[in-house]
Amino acid sequence: MIELKGITKKYTKNGSPEVSVLQGVDLEIRKGEFVAIMAPSGMGKSTLMNIIGCLDRPSAGQYFLDGTEVVSMDDDQLSRTRNKKIGFVFQSFNLLSKTTALENVELPLIYSTEDVDLKAKARAALEAVGLGDRLDHVPSELSGGQQQRVAIARALVNDPALILADEPTGNLDTASSHEVMNIFRKLHQDGRTIVLVTHEPDVAGEAQRIIKMKDGKILSDERRAE
Amino acid sequence: MLISRVAGISLRGLSKHKMRAFLMMLGIIIGIATLTVIVSAGKGMQKKITKSIQSFGPNAVMVSAGGGKMFGPPDDKVTTLTLDDATAIKESIKGIRAFSPFTITLEQSIIYGNRNSTAPVVGATPEFADAWQWYAEKGDFISDEDNASMSKNCMLGRTVVRELFGDQDPVGETIRVNNTNFKVIGVLTGRGTSPMGMDMDRRVMVPLTTAMKRLFNVTYIGMIRMYIDDASRLDEVSKTVTSILKERHHITPPQEDDFRVTNTMSMANMAKGVSRTLGTFLALLSLISLGVGGIVIANIMFISVNERKKEIGIRRAFGATAGDIKKQFLGEALFVTIGGGIAGAVMGLIISEGLAVIKRMPVVLSWEPFALAIMFSTIVGLIAGLQPARRAAAMDPVDAIKG
Repeated sequence: MIELKGITKKYTKNGSPEVSVLQGVDLEIRKGEFVAIMAPSGMGKSTLMNIIGCLDRPSAGQYFLDGTEVVSMDDDQLSRTRNKKIGFVFQSFNLLSKTTALENVELPLIYSTEDVDLKAKARAALEAVGLGDRLDHVPSELSGGQQQRVAIARALVNDPALILADEPTGNLDTASSHEVMNIFRKLHQDGRTIVLVTHEPDVAGEAQRIIKMKDGKILSDERRAE
Repeated sequence: MLISRVAGISLRGLSKHKMRAFLMMLGIIIGIATLTVIVSAGKGMQKKITKSIQSFGPNAVMVSAGGGKMFGPPDDKVTTLTLDDATAIKESIKGIRAFSPFTITLEQSIIYGNRNSTAPVVGATPEFADAWQWYAEKGDFISDEDNASMSKNCMLGRTVVRELFGDQDPVGETIRVNNTNFKVIGVLTGRGTSPMGMDMDRRVMVPLTTAMKRLFNVTYIGMIRMYIDDASRLDEVSKTVTSILKERHHITPPQEDDFRVTNTMSMANMAKGVSRTLGTFLALLSLISLGVGGIVIANIMFISVNERKKEIGIRRAFGATAGDIKKQFLGEALFVTIGGGIAGAVMGLIISEGLAVIKRMPVVLSWEPFALAIMFSTIVGLIAGLQPARRAAAMDPVDAIKG
């Protein structure tokens, strides 16, 4: 499903010396796995997320997603890959403001090359996360937990191969966090591949496999018996 | 991505910032409204010119006393043109169908009973009718006998008839012109407004001899009007007349002519010149407001692109290509300009109609402003929107999504 080989990422900012954020990451994630990546902030987990999510390209290394080599893709191919295969869930929800839940969920479908019934699919996705009665609400009219559920519906609507969640409970209270994690658990049971980045051990504890990172390298990789 | 989907995204984007969209439209609305007024007024002017040429008459050459660049009847104090000049011209030019020397005064007081009016007094011979293609619609025209006997018969234009007689028949009645009694023998056909904007139906016509000797005691005439057989000879005849008069008046190069020769063509060209000057001025105004409108749109678009960085990042994360983002912002610019253009065309037509009603300006309302509006708006939208749209498209998704 995901195969990273010797991934490095270096940044240079305004002539200051090069910073290596990722220093040779090898990682394999199989279909249907629920993986948590844990790292203190600034230790390269966001960069790794962006690379896995096809938003960013590594400085060196190889990345196969669903059997396809990603590193050599051009910008349009990366966009299309994100559209088809990746569903992002962000810490700060990243919903479009002043835009209804339904329209937010339609977003990935709009950029899909397939001619589908946007409204019907978006409504189904919102119903699946229990928000069938909030279709016309804009984000400011929804609670944090509801907003994150809209975001999850948006991530799911195009039926992606991989759900990529970056601190999905970071901005939520305990009750909402539980709601959201329940959805992830259910998605995992349905056979979805989920990669979740977090620094909260509780959240990571939901995953079946925990990868710890430090200084741009993988420190440990533990599988839990189910 | 489907084009209808791009249009939908662009429209939704605009609907979230209605005030901003309106401000962006403002310059385009003003520019296109001005352009619409130009087109309407231009067409109105064209119609007026055509009418003016009809009222001036086709195939006509006119000589008037006095130099300078003004058209129209001369000041009645100018003494340079004589009947001998007229005879000399008539003898040297072939193909003249009608030849009419005449005098014309400034407005004189005209009295009938207890009503009074004012009108220029024209002294004419019977040939005036053919030279102007201007006849009696009622009663008789001035005759050779009238001229031979210096009779106190006169003809009236429609405006004078309306003002002095109302619905009453003026033929046979007596009026006072400059303290002299005249008998009305006929009414001239309606001629409308001259190319100079004069009411040509406001006039009293008396025999040429009566005007020269009895009324004003002068030895000179004001104008000569010729009707020639061939429109293509207008300029040639005008040149011949000019050289004859230069010779007779002993005018050598540094001296200015003491007469003017005009013809149907030069009249039309002058009228066009006036409307062209006005049109050029308005066109400049319109282009400036479209240009300023475009710059305003480009600037607001740049601000908008920066403010909506996060939106761009989110769209990119869920699969929008750089091209999709570019189309979205270019689409917004085009919706703004084309929307503004159509609104401007409608407003321009309303203003044109207002000018026609209030200022009595000649205007012609037509569909062309809409075609022009869409054309110009599209051009402005593309130019103003392209750079902001490119900047939006070039944003790095990872940076953009951080906001």
